[in-house]
Amino acid sequence: MHASANIASLDHATMCTASRRATLFLPLLLAPAAHAQTAAPAAAQPSAQPVPALPDRSDIVYVLNSGDATISILDAGTRSELRRFPALREPHHLSLTPDGKELVIADSGGNEFFFLDPATAEVKRRVRISNPYHLCYSPDGKYLVVASLRRDQVDIYDARDLSLLQRLRVGDKPSHICFDPGATTAFVTLQGVRSVLAISLETRQPVWQAEVGREPAGVYWNRGKIICGVMGEAHFVVLNPETRQVERQIPIGRGAHTIFPSPDGRVLYGASRVDSRIVAIDPESLEVTRVYEVPGGPDCIAFDSDGRLWATLRWVQRVGILDVHSGALDTIRVGRSPHGIFVQPRRGE
Amino acid sequence: MFGHLDTAYSQLTGWLYTEALQPALYALGLMDYADDLYQWLDFAIFGLIGIVISYVVCRPLEAAMPVERWPGRGPVYTDMIYTLLARVGVLPLLAFVLLNGAQSRLDGLIADTGFVPPTLETIFPVLREYPLLALAAYVVVLDFGEYWRHRFQHRFGWWWALHSVHHAQRQMTFWTDDRNHILDDVIAALWFGALALLIGVPLGQFPVILLILRIAEAMSHANVRLSYGSVGERLIVSPRFHRVHHGVLSVGQSGKNYAVLLPVWDWIFGTADFRRDVYPETGDPDAPEGLVTGGWFRQQALGLKRLALALAGR
Repeated sequence: MHASANIASLDHATMCTASRRATLFLPLLLAPAAHAQTAAPAAAQPSAQPVPALPDRSDIVYVLNSGDATISILDAGTRSELRRFPALREPHHLSLTPDGKELVIADSGGNEFFFLDPATAEVKRRVRISNPYHLCYSPDGKYLVVASLRRDQVDIYDARDLSLLQRLRVGDKPSHICFDPGATTAFVTLQGVRSVLAISLETRQPVWQAEVGREPAGVYWNRGKIICGVMGEAHFVVLNPETRQVERQIPIGRGAHTIFPSPDGRVLYGASRVDSRIVAIDPESLEVTRVYEVPGGPDCIAFDSDGRLWATLRWVQRVGILDVHSGALDTIRVGRSPHGIFVQPRRGE
Repeated sequence: MFGHLDTAYSQLTGWLYTEALQPALYALGLMDYADDLYQWLDFAIFGLIGIVISYVVCRPLEAAMPVERWPGRGPVYTDMIYTLLARVGVLPLLAFVLLNGAQSRLDGLIADTGFVPPTLETIFPVLREYPLLALAAYVVVLDFGEYWRHRFQHRFGWWWALHSVHHAQRQMTFWTDDRNHILDDVIAALWFGALALLIGVPLGQFPVILLILRIAEAMSHANVRLSYGSVGERLIVSPRFHRVHHGVLSVGQSGKNYAVLLPVWDWIFGTADFRRDVYPETGDPDAPEGLVTGGWFRQQALGLKRLALALAGR
C-alpha cells in the first residue's frame, strides 16, 4: 500500500500542472497569524533547521502556494495546517528525486530549486537554476527535464549533479512534461502554440511537434498514447505518438487541465479549471466513469495513504480532500493560488 | 480580525474569478492569460482599497483643517476621473501585461547567456526569512527611483510638458495624486517596472508596493494644513512638504521636495525645503487655463500639444 502510495506521489508530483503566477504578499498584510508560524525556528531558518513535531502517524502534505511564495505543510490526519514557511518568489511544481530521498521544489520566479527532506521538511540545499516551472525526472532516473514557461526554454540536466546538458529554445510557453516508460522521449506541451513537442533524450533535440488544441497544459503517458489537457477547450485529447495524430477527445469540462493516475493505476483523474470538476476516467476505455464537482478551480492532484484525493484549488486559497468513493469533499485553508501538491506517506509503516 | 479580512478577501476574489472572469476568458479564447487576469484582480481590488483608505483618511482631514477653501470644486471632480482610471482601470493591467511580456523576453535573452539573475534576497540571504523586511527594502529602492524620475520630469522640457498637467491644478486635494498625462503614466509604469525587474521585485508585490506608495502620495497631496513635526517631516513626506513642491514658485526646474515617500532623498541631494510654516498656493502660472479647468480629454490634448511644442523646441 505504502510503496504504491510512494510511487503515486512521485508521479503526481512530477506531473503537476498550472500556469504562471507571481508572488503576492497579501497574507503578509492580512494574515499575520499565518505568518507568525514562520517565526518558528524551522520556518525562520528553513535551510538550517528541521521542522519540529511533524506527525508520525499521519501523512504529511506539502502544498506550494504560488501566489504568496509560501509552502504549507498539512497534517492529513487532522486536516490542519502545521506550518507555513517562505519560498523565494513563485513555487509551482515539485518532484521527488529518483531515490525518493529528497523533494525538489521549483521556484520559477526565484530561479532556484530547493531540496527538502520530505519526512522532516528540512531544507537540505538550494540550487540556482533558470526559471524552473515544471520538472520531471526521466523514468530511468538519468535526466531531469525542466520547462521554463516564461523563457520559452526546456532544459535537460544530468539528474546526478544538475549539470546542464542541453538548453532548447522551443515554442511559446512550454508548460508540462511527461516521458514514455522507456525514457527515450520527453513530451512537452507548448501552451502558446497549441502543440506537444517530442524531444529525444538520446540526441537531446526536438524530433517532432504535433498540434493538439488551444492552450495545452497537463500531459500524461497512458498505454502507448499521450493524453493532453487542452485548457482552452472542454476536453482532453489522445495523441498517438507514432502517427502524431489526435485520435480522440475525452470530454472533461471547460478548461480541461491536468491528468493524474490513482495509486493503483486503475483510474485516471482529470481536472477542469473552469467548470471546476474532477472526472474519473477508465484508463483502458478512456470513458469518463464519474464526475465530481469541486469548486475553486482544481489543479494538481495527489493521493494520501487512505486513497483520498487531494487537489489544489487555485482560485479559492484552499486544498480539497475528496473521498472518491463517497464523493464527499472537505477543504483546508492554505496560501494564495495553491498549485503543486505532494503527499509524504505516514512514517513507520 | 486579520484572519477574517484575509478570508473575506480570498472569498471575494475567488468568487469574482470563478464566476465571472475565468468563464469570460474561456469564452474569449484567452485562457493563456488566466493567471495574469487573476493577478490583475489584485491590482484592481487593491486600487479600490487604496481609494477607499485615501478617502477615509484624507477627506475628513481636508474638511477639518484645509489650507484653502474654494467656492466650486469642478477641477477636483476631474481629478477623481483620473484616479479611477489610474488605480482601478486599464492602466495597471496594460502596464502589467506589457512588463510581464517584456520580462519574459528579457529573461530569455539573459538565460541564453547562462546568467541567473539575482534578487535582493539572494544577495542578502537574511531577507529570505523576513519577507516584510524584503518588502520594505524594495519599497526604499523603488522610492529612490521615483525621486529621480520626478527630478527628470522637471528637468527635461518635453517631460515637463507632460508633467505640467499634474502641476496645473490650483485646487490640490488628495485626488490630485493621479492627475497625470496618460503618456506620463506609461513612462512612469515603465520606469517603475524596469527598476523593479532590475532588482528582482516579484511582479505580484506590485499591488502592495503601489498601495503603500499611492496612499502616501494621496496624503501628501491632501489640502490639509498638516506638518509631521521637525523629526517626522524628515522621515516621511507630509502634506506640507509636498505642497511646497506644488507651490506656484516651485514649478519646472526651480522645484523643491521631489520625494514621493521618503524625504531623505531630498535631504541627500540638496532639494529639501523643511520650512514648516509654508503653505503656498498651488498651480503653474504658465499653464493655459484649459490645463487647469478643462476636462480630462482637454487636458490630455493640451498635454500632447505642449509636448509637441517642447520637442519642436518652441
